[in-house]
Amino acid sequence: MTTLIASSRDYGALVKEDRVHSSIFTDEQIFQDEIERIFHRTWLFALHESEIPKFGDFKRIQLGRFPIIVTRDENGEIQLLINRCRHRGAQVCEAQRGNAKRFQCWYHGWTYDSKGDLVGVTGPEGYDKNFEAEQHALAKVPRVGSYRGFVFASLAEEGMSFDEYLGPTKKFFDMMVDSSPIGEVEVRPGVVNKTMYRGNWKQIGMDGYHPHYVHMSVFKIFSKRESTTGSAVGALHLEDPFADTSLSRTRGFPNGHACLDFREQRRPHAATAIEELERSEEGRQYVADMVAAHGRERAEELVAWHGDPHLGLFPNLQLIHGHVRVVIPISPGETEVLMYPVFLKGVEPGINAKRLRAHEAFYGPAAAGSPDDAEIFERTQRGLLADAEPWVLLSRGIEREQVDEDGSVTACISDEVTQRAQMQEWKRLMTAR
Amino acid sequence: MAKQIVNATPEALGAGILDIETQLRLERFLAYEAALMDEHEYDRWMALWSGDDITYWVPCNDDDQDPSTGIAIIYDDRSNLNERMMRLKDKTAHAYRPRARLVRTISGVVPLKAEGDELEVASSFVLGEIRVGVQNIWFGKCMYRLQDTPEGFRIRSKKVMLLNNDEAMPNLTFLV
Repeated sequence: MTTLIASSRDYGALVKEDRVHSSIFTDEQIFQDEIERIFHRTWLFALHESEIPKFGDFKRIQLGRFPIIVTRDENGEIQLLINRCRHRGAQVCEAQRGNAKRFQCWYHGWTYDSKGDLVGVTGPEGYDKNFEAEQHALAKVPRVGSYRGFVFASLAEEGMSFDEYLGPTKKFFDMMVDSSPIGEVEVRPGVVNKTMYRGNWKQIGMDGYHPHYVHMSVFKIFSKRESTTGSAVGALHLEDPFADTSLSRTRGFPNGHACLDFREQRRPHAATAIEELERSEEGRQYVADMVAAHGRERAEELVAWHGDPHLGLFPNLQLIHGHVRVVIPISPGETEVLMYPVFLKGVEPGINAKRLRAHEAFYGPAAAGSPDDAEIFERTQRGLLADAEPWVLLSRGIEREQVDEDGSVTACISDEVTQRAQMQEWKRLMTAR
Repeated sequence: MAKQIVNATPEALGAGILDIETQLRLERFLAYEAALMDEHEYDRWMALWSGDDITYWVPCNDDDQDPSTGIAIIYDDRSNLNERMMRLKDKTAHAYRPRARLVRTISGVVPLKAEGDELEVASSFVLGEIRVGVQNIWFGKCMYRLQDTPEGFRIRSKKVMLLNNDEAMPNLTFLV
């Protein structure tokens, strides 16, 4: 389905173990090759299945250069269809989302159903007897996989299995989903921060080294509060989770996935988190339901973790605090970021309302947190264009890495384990034959 | 704001619900508020708000997105707004440094409802922004609840409906 552009460039030379060349953030040809070699070949996050719950529901997404319609067909199956009429190539769906049993191309009237089958051709008598509608269904994305409702897709017919792609990251998806007492979350396609910054898509990695500087204004405000009740980022405690002396760890997985792992740092705060929840009736109910569903010990750690995996799945998904974040590369120097707050199922509405307020306090174009990230990414992009000393250092903590039982690499929270994991996967995909 | 204006009472659209002098005071007040926002005069802008139960609301995705089931770009009560002011003034809030250069024009000022000393007022704006060499143009509609006091109008609530609230937007690093 996808063409691999032959490249004479030696991408292997641009990524060393402890540094990367700035051209990978700024070069137009490298960007085009990234779309072909990364976005059109590996697994990409598509959507959460709760976004299209009913027959006929659809949502449009972009995978690399491909415009996709994701539908729920009459059998309840999810279909990823390429939004391109098989006749002359016009998009057959322009609405961003909705419910439709049919998609009609308004160029010449060809019509498809929610499985993508061609069910209507204008003036069929004009085609010869060898014309078969079955041969002209909307093209499907070749491979689809899902875990706990998170649907991924690969535009390549062959490659690593979805299971191998996720590897040991599944338990981090569980952290988010099992913070619902019925083990289900909901993502609403119409509830999303849509933002953009003038910087490269790879800048939005996982970084435990930046918060004290980029988010200094937020820390200052926290320090003026009497407690962290209602704190903007939910799980920030008075104890600094970004100190190298804390129990927080950076974690790099196979296949470029990365995590700021706050589990051990947050676990001792379970009692405080539960105490805070139990100040309200809905919070008491939530704690009771969590204990009933998961048992006391597991419920306590899940509550302490606030459903925040802080996980990045290379190349286009992050699960951070209470939201699903999708990274969309537009050009070497332009990136869109979609942030969907996650709703817990099986809880009182007040619980989700509080999560929404916590989300919008830190995330979005006018919030306390993400605008400063975007600003720094833009400053970085302007700096990277000056490539007299072109190497970008990612060496922090390289001597204090440890390998865990599941094969992931960990180090102190400020160490650049995460960036190294992402860049090694970038190199693997960009140099693959 | 078009939808509310279209649906307004015949009185509000015909003879108007205010005398001309009050209408002029109102337009002058909104021009003054706009100037304070353009010039980043945060403390003086804050002084225009009255009461503890204020709401400063910039909906996301949809002009009427319900905050109890959706998110907002800004959904501030007084305590959130106070913290926003601290950040806007803070030299380490990088997105606000350097500050944007701004100019906006306000028009379509239509009082829709008067109850006691409170008014509901619709308006619209076009805003030019220049920051770090990039020019952005923003459009929006506003719905105010204003209190007419001996000291002048005071803001009780303000809802700002950005035309691009469902599009990928850059940082919004100033008051709207």
